This record gives sequence, structure tokens and C-alpha cells, in this order.
Amino acid sequence: MTAKARVLVAMSGGVDSSVAAALLVRQGYDVVGVTMKLFEDGSELPDRPCCSLDSTSDARRVAELLGIPHYVLNMVDHFSRDVIADFVAEYARGRTPIPCVRCNTFTKFSDLVAKADGIDAQYVATGHYARAIDGELHRGLDDNKDQTYFLWGINRLVLKRLMLPVGTMTKPETRALARELELPRVADKPESQEICFVPDGDYVKILRRELGDAAPALSPGRIVTMDGRDVGEHGGFARYTIGQRRGLPGGSGDPLYVVALRPETREVVVGPREALLGTRVAASGINWLVETPPLAGDEVQVRIRHRAPLAPAVVEQVDDGEVSLSLLSPVSAISPGQSAVFYDGTRVLGGGFID
Amino acid sequence: MPQPPIYLDHAATTPVRPEVIEAMLPYFGAKFGNSSSTHRWGREARAATDAARERIGACLGANPDEICLTSGGTEADNLAVLGGWRVQRGSGRNAVVTTPIEHKAVLASAHQAAKEGGDERLLDVDATGVVSLESARTHLRPDVAIASVMWVNNETGVIQPIEELVALAKNVGAVFHTDAVQAFGKIVIDAKLTPFDLCSVSGHKFGAPKGIGAVFVRRGTALAPLFFGGTQDRGRRPGTENVPMAIALATAMELTLREKDAECARLLALRDRLEAALLERVPDAVVHGRGAPRAPHMLSLSVPGTDSESMLIALDLQGVACSSGSACQSGSVTASHVLNAMGVPPELGSAAVRMSVGKLTTDEHIDRVVALFPALIAKARSMAGRF
Repeated sequence: MTAKARVLVAMSGGVDSSVAAALLVRQGYDVVGVTMKLFEDGSELPDRPCCSLDSTSDARRVAELLGIPHYVLNMVDHFSRDVIADFVAEYARGRTPIPCVRCNTFTKFSDLVAKADGIDAQYVATGHYARAIDGELHRGLDDNKDQTYFLWGINRLVLKRLMLPVGTMTKPETRALARELELPRVADKPESQEICFVPDGDYVKILRRELGDAAPALSPGRIVTMDGRDVGEHGGFARYTIGQRRGLPGGSGDPLYVVALRPETREVVVGPREALLGTRVAASGINWLVETPPLAGDEVQVRIRHRAPLAPAVVEQVDDGEVSLSLLSPVSAISPGQSAVFYDGTRVLGGGFID
Repeated sequence: MPQPPIYLDHAATTPVRPEVIEAMLPYFGAKFGNSSSTHRWGREARAATDAARERIGACLGANPDEICLTSGGTEADNLAVLGGWRVQRGSGRNAVVTTPIEHKAVLASAHQAAKEGGDERLLDVDATGVVSLESARTHLRPDVAIASVMWVNNETGVIQPIEELVALAKNVGAVFHTDAVQAFGKIVIDAKLTPFDLCSVSGHKFGAPKGIGAVFVRRGTALAPLFFGGTQDRGRRPGTENVPMAIALATAMELTLREKDAECARLLALRDRLEAALLERVPDAVVHGRGAPRAPHMLSLSVPGTDSESMLIALDLQGVACSSGSACQSGSVTASHVLNAMGVPPELGSAAVRMSVGKLTTDEHIDRVVALFPALIAKARSMAGRF
């Protein structure tokens, strides 16, 4: 009997990674399940730094059912440094971060890969809706669920070792399989939409904790129109993001949208909906996932927000770690801090952070 | 065909002994009575509980009325430390003295006393993990309500100078508690020989099920109860008595003491051979508590350039079950407050692996662990800095 290759599978306790693990077991791999502990749960109880996260228990139960070992990896320090600290710093700079991108880049597909090496696991698997084919990354077959928008930052070499078993399935298929496999508790779990370390959606609470109430990003400032008219006061520019309507003065005339944040003067700039439209995307911190990245003049498709439609664009300039593109038709709310991800059909070429 | 796995985590818990299961069984069946009841079922249960209490007492050099049965070591420690402090509140004795290497059941009780207005003081610990008597002399003053020092540390196995500490506490009229959860069956614990006032034990560390423990309460020592509602155990521990578990604890204690000398000699030989062989193969490994008197069943070591979490996983994947000493509920590995208090540098403390031999351990187990260890270390070290 030949030893089957070992796969480390990241199990969150949700349906996607549970089914991913089950599929790998079914295919005969030597599967080792891990749940990453990324932050302290219930840190308001200083004597109880423990983490009886329900999701960890669910992952453990699934692993037990599948007959695979399961471990909890304490990655709190690295996650705090690589993901939460950046999340906070980005808001403080008047940008709108996507922590999931950095988690994938640093935590899941770097730190976790090191853990996989430590246990001689040749492969790393997750429950992402995406496909790794011949060392390249492709969109998941379920267009509604495709998660490649969050995966552009990973080291290209990892793609050869990556297994994404649910990437060829639709979400309903995944749920059906979970039911068929009788995976405990996970089949009908609601979709997690929030950022994992901001479970109640109140990210300002995190900013307050990390920056303090007196931080400029959380201090009152003026709301001004694009032509400099003062139209009101806000309670901290970090509460605003490009394209937002909530929290702005109402009244007569056309609805106002946040069109820019000016951290240096703490101003929130508002304007009409048309002012949100743009045709130019400049991104930095570029990571390519293909051997031959596009050149100036090449046509690509770009996505500037999760679930936004792919927009055709022409590459204007490719510099060291920076790319600028010109969109063929305008799109709304191109927000600094969000990702710009470049595609060629289903293939992910790479991505960067919007400037 | 893979070899059967090796259990080197007896300090975490032990399998229930067959004799113990057998002794308990009738009390889940025909002898199901409530020992507070007047009728024959009640009398039968009462007689069994009283007998168990007497047997447990005999194992600790105590009278039956000095044995208070609890749900385990944590409750025993909580009742002793917090109950022992609360009952003296307002008497002019407001301090609780303990050490930074205690089990969290004691430390958290001391913190709770502090939250309720107590004066919490922690004694110093030296680099080998022994509590400083000098520090005890400084901190044990007439304002101390209760002092609590564990007999055997649960991460390093280091034996504390309980005789001397009890004497210092008695000198200032303080109540003295010792957490003997890791000590029972490994060293002599006799209330007639050592004048401690309170002493906690936990059944599952020596062949009883999880969920039963006891605290010895010397006659004349007052405790404020943690629970309210009944008069069981003289009101110290209200709640219907757990008859089969009381019998389990008594049986496991008796068996353990009967075999103690031979078993301790066997464990010591196994542990010492394991330690020597690992140090020979990994000469820069650090054994925590080395040089201090240690209980025979425990070995805590750190290999520079590795980390506990990766080591425990790699060992488990090879079929060897160890521990890092302090696991939290999720099973994730956290930094050791014990090694930290001993002044072990963080990078070494975070590499600690605790191996504890016991009933299931054989010579062949030691050979197998020793054989696979160097390769694991080489692998772990090649990964250093990757994470």
C-alpha cells in the first residue's frame, strides 16, 4: 500500500470547509484538520482567556465524524499583527480595508503553509469557492460565491499545493452534500457575512479599542461638498466609506454620497451619485498569480469590489508593484483600500490595493 | 499496520481502573438511593457514602468528618481558598498568600478574593520552580487569612517545601491549604504527619472518573460554602451526595496507596530513562525543574528552536500523546504562567512539552518515543523562523 499524500485542511466549522475535508477524506488523502484561533474570544473576562468558540467545536465534531485528527492552532499573535493592526491603520488613513485579503495572504496561505510543512503535509486545502488548476487560480464555478476577490495576494508557488474541493461546486450543492454526509450541525448554518473579528458588524468598536476615542479618525470633523461648502459635522471619518449615504445630512435636493475622505483635514467630502463614477483604477502592492503578467496596452477584466461585475479595462501602465488601468465604461465608488483584482476569463491574473 | 498510540499524559488524566468501575456499578443500579433519605434505600446509600468517606480519610490520615467531597480538584481548590478566605473576612485577616505557579483553580480563587477586597500576595519562585521560603517569611504575616501552595507542580512536577511552608503559616496563625492534585499517590500525604489545614485531591488523576474530588478540612477549620441549599457534608457542600463517585474515589485512593512504592519506583525509572535518553540525543534540551526535587511521573522539557504547538501536533501524528502543560478549552496552546514565573525565557517557555508517565506506560513506550524524538526535533528546527 502506498502512503497517500497528506493534506492539511483549514476547518472553520462552517459548511464549506467541512465538506472540503469530507471530500478529501473520501478521495483517500491523509487528511489533518486544523482550526485557526485568530483572536481571543471573550477577552473582556481577563481570567478566562479561553476560547470555547462554537465554531471550533463544530470543526472538531466534523473531524471526529470523518475520523481525522484535528488541532487548534493558536495564531492570535500573527493575525493581530498582520490583519487586525492593518485593518485599524487603514481606517485611520481614511481607507476602507478588506481584512480577508490580508488574512489569506499572510495567515492562511503563508503561516498555515508553514504549519503544513511542519507536519509534512504536501497540500493545503480550504473551503474557498475558487479553483487551483495547474498552478493557476481560477474563479469558482458558482458565480454567486466566487471568492477569488480575496485570494489575489497569495504566494503563486502555493497554488501548486492548494486544494479547493468545493470550488467546482455551487453552494446549494455543498449544502446538499453536507446533508448527505450527515455532517453534524454544519449543513444549514447561515452564511457568515461579517468580518470574523467584528462579529456584530460594529468595526468602530474595534477602532476605539485600538486607537482610543481621541484618535483623529474618530474625532468630529466637517462634512463638505466637492466645491468646499460646509454642510455639517460628522463623528469621525473612519465611520465613513466611499459611496456611503448613511450618516449624512438629508434635506432638500439630490441625495448625497461620500465621494472622498481627507484624513489630513478630517473632512468627509460629499457629492451627487455621478461624482462616484470613475474610469481610472490605480493599485499598488501588486501580486501576480501568472507567470506572464499583462503589459501596458493589454485588455483585462477588473473587479473593484466583492461581487461587483467584472469590468473590461485596458492596462495603462505596469510599474514595480503598481498598475494603472483605464476602464472601458465608468464604475461607481472606486474605494482606496479595497482590492482591484485582474482577470482573464476565469483565470485570476493578480491584484493589488486601490490607491 | 501502525503501532498502537502511546499515552504520555497521565498528569492530565488517567483511565478509570476496572476495580473502580466494578465498585461503582451497584450504585448506579439496585443501590441507587439518596443518602439523605430515611428509608432502606437511603440507609444503604448513607452507609456506603459514610464508608467511602472513612476510607478516603484513612488514605489521607484524616477522620471521616474531615473529608469534604467535591466535583473535582477545581471545586476543592475554590472551596478551600475562597471559602477559607471569605469566612475570615472582617476578622483582621484579609490577605491570601499563594504562588504564581499554582493551578488556575487556586490562582483564580485568589484573584476572586482580591476582587472582593482581599489582599493577594504571590510568593517568589526560583529558577528551578521551587517556592522561596525567604519570600514566604516576608509575606506570611499575622494579617494572612489563608496561604495556599501546591504540593507538586502540574507542569514541572517540582515538589514544594510544604513542611516548612506549613510551619511558617502556622507561626502567624494563618490557615494553610495545599493543592495535592498532582501529589497524591506520588509522595506521602498524611494529615497526621503534616499539619496543613486544607488539602485538595482529584480522583481522575489516579484511576477514578472525572467529576470527583475531595478537600481535607482539618477539624476546627472554618470554610464559607460555595453552594447553598442543603445540609449535606455539614453544610460545607450542599447537594445530593454522589454515592458511586464517592466509592470510586475511595477505591482508587486505596489501590493507589497500596501500589504506591512499587509504582513510584517504576515510574521514576521510566521517567529518568526517558529524560536521560532525550538529553543524550538532544543535548541542548532544557528540563524544567531539573535540580529541584520532582515527582516521579513528570518531565517537562523545551528544545530551543521548536514550539510546543508544533511539537504536540507532530508527536500526536506519530501516535504520542503529550501536553504543553496548560491547554485551554479549545485545545489551543497558550503560554505557560508557571515557566514564566520561573524566569524561563519566552522562546523556551513556548517550546515546553510535558510528558507524564503512569499506569499505561511501558519500557517499550519509552524506547519508541526516544527513537522518534530526534527526527521530530530536526524537522521542527528546520521549520524554525518559518512561522
